[in-house]
Parts: sequence; C-alpha cells; structure tokens
Amino acid sequence: MDADLHLDGILLRDKRAFGQWMAIAEEPMRASLRSFASVVDVEAVLQESLLRVWTVAPRFVRDGKPNGLLRLGVRIARNLAVSELRRTKSRPMSPDDLEDLEGRADVHEPAEPDPLLRRTIEECREKLPGKPREALDARLSSGGGDEDLELAMRLGMTLNTFLQNFTRARRFLHECLKKHGVTIDAELST
Amino acid sequence: MTEEEKELLIEAVATANRPRPLVTLRYHPAWHDLDAVGREKAADLARALRKIEAALHPEGLSTTARAVLDRI
Repeated sequence: MDADLHLDGILLRDKRAFGQWMAIAEEPMRASLRSFASVVDVEAVLQESLLRVWTVAPRFVRDGKPNGLLRLGVRIARNLAVSELRRTKSRPMSPDDLEDLEGRADVHEPAEPDPLLRRTIEECREKLPGKPREALDARLSSGGGDEDLELAMRLGMTLNTFLQNFTRARRFLHECLKKHGVTIDAELST
Repeated sequence: MTEEEKELLIEAVATANRPRPLVTLRYHPAWHDLDAVGREKAADLARALRKIEAALHPEGLSTTARAVLDRI
C-alpha cells in the first residue's frame, strides 16, 4: 500500500488528505520508535513528528519509490527520538548504544484496512458492560484532546476508577475478539 | 509503588492525550514515574489501543491522528 496516494492533497494543504495519510503511516512510524520506548515518550515524539511531516511536506520531493513521505516521516521521528535522548540525558548513552538504536530503522510495510476486523471490533464494543464502555467511549470521543482526569470527572468517576474501567474495557475487547478468532495485540489483555 | 499502581500509570500513559499548549514536545506527566519496563509496556499498549481506535473511527483515524489534526 502506497501512502503517497494522498500526497497531492497534502501538498494542497488538505487536512483530510493528511488524515488519510496518517491512517496509513501512523503504525509504521510508531513501530520505528519502539526501540526508544524505554527512554523517550513515544506518543509525544510520534505526534510531534507527524506535525513536522505536515510542516515540511510542501518541500517534499518524490524519489519515484512508494511511501516516500512515510520514509521521510520515519527519519524525522527517529532523529527526533535521538535528539530527545541527547537533550534529556535520560541515561548515559555510548556512541555504540546510539548507533544500535539508530540502526534499527526498518520501515514496516503499511497494512491495508480490514473491513471484517472493523466490524468485529464494533460488535465487541457493543457488548461492553456499562462503566467500561463509558470509559472507552469517553477517550474515543475526546480524540486525544482531553486529559483522563477531565474525562473521569465528566463521568462522575475518580481518575483511578476511570482507569480501572478502561482496563476492563480493553480486556473485555481482547476476550471478545479472541472468541471471534481475532488477535490485535497481546498487550490488550495485560 | 504497588503492581496495581504501576498498571494504572501504564494505562494513563497509553492515552494519546499530551499536555497543551504544545509549543514544544511535552511528555505525559506519568511517563516519568514509570521504569523502563513500564514505559515499554505503555508504548506497546498504546500501539494496540490505536489500532482499536482506528478500526472504530469512520475514517480510520486513531486518537493520535485526531490529536495531531487538532493541532494543525
């Protein structure tokens, strides 16, 4: 799958096109940061990197190979992670350590959307019990815009209760998906 | 820190929400309280959750993508 099919729209500064590009590119960019997870906040680095891709995209030059903007995004993300590592000095890093982290820059092939998976997840979500579903839906509807504490207060929960309900929701989803023969990631059940 | 407290911190860090205004890169406050293993677990959990979120969104957008769109 070539995420560059949305490039023309992005160059026209179409946010929707950039959203469609992110729907494909987010997962490979996130995967490229996995080796930094113990030393930088991957979510924060990823979001900043995606913003930088949007900013530099008008100057992007195609090289004729697929997923050019994604490959640029992976480089931006990994360079930012290395900068963060140096800035925060979160742990002593030898040149060999850095080279080791920088060396694992494989770009995962973007996956095609799976309509069957989407339907199954939606079915499982429908079956969620009340409070866990409220917690899951609150995060979904806020779209990353609100802190958990705010979401918890709106639902009349303490922060800990909200997080406990969210944990129940994802474990329930994991079990339900498993019954349908679907495994997203083992982490959902932890 | 008890195991339960650690699990709640991991759950908290796995959200796509990050402090604003985002003039520069801002970490989730609870990220600093996690050890290396907890940070990796939070990153892996976030990855799994983003897949679920994207599957539930009509345009396939995770909360990460929506948070980014909100900032541009």
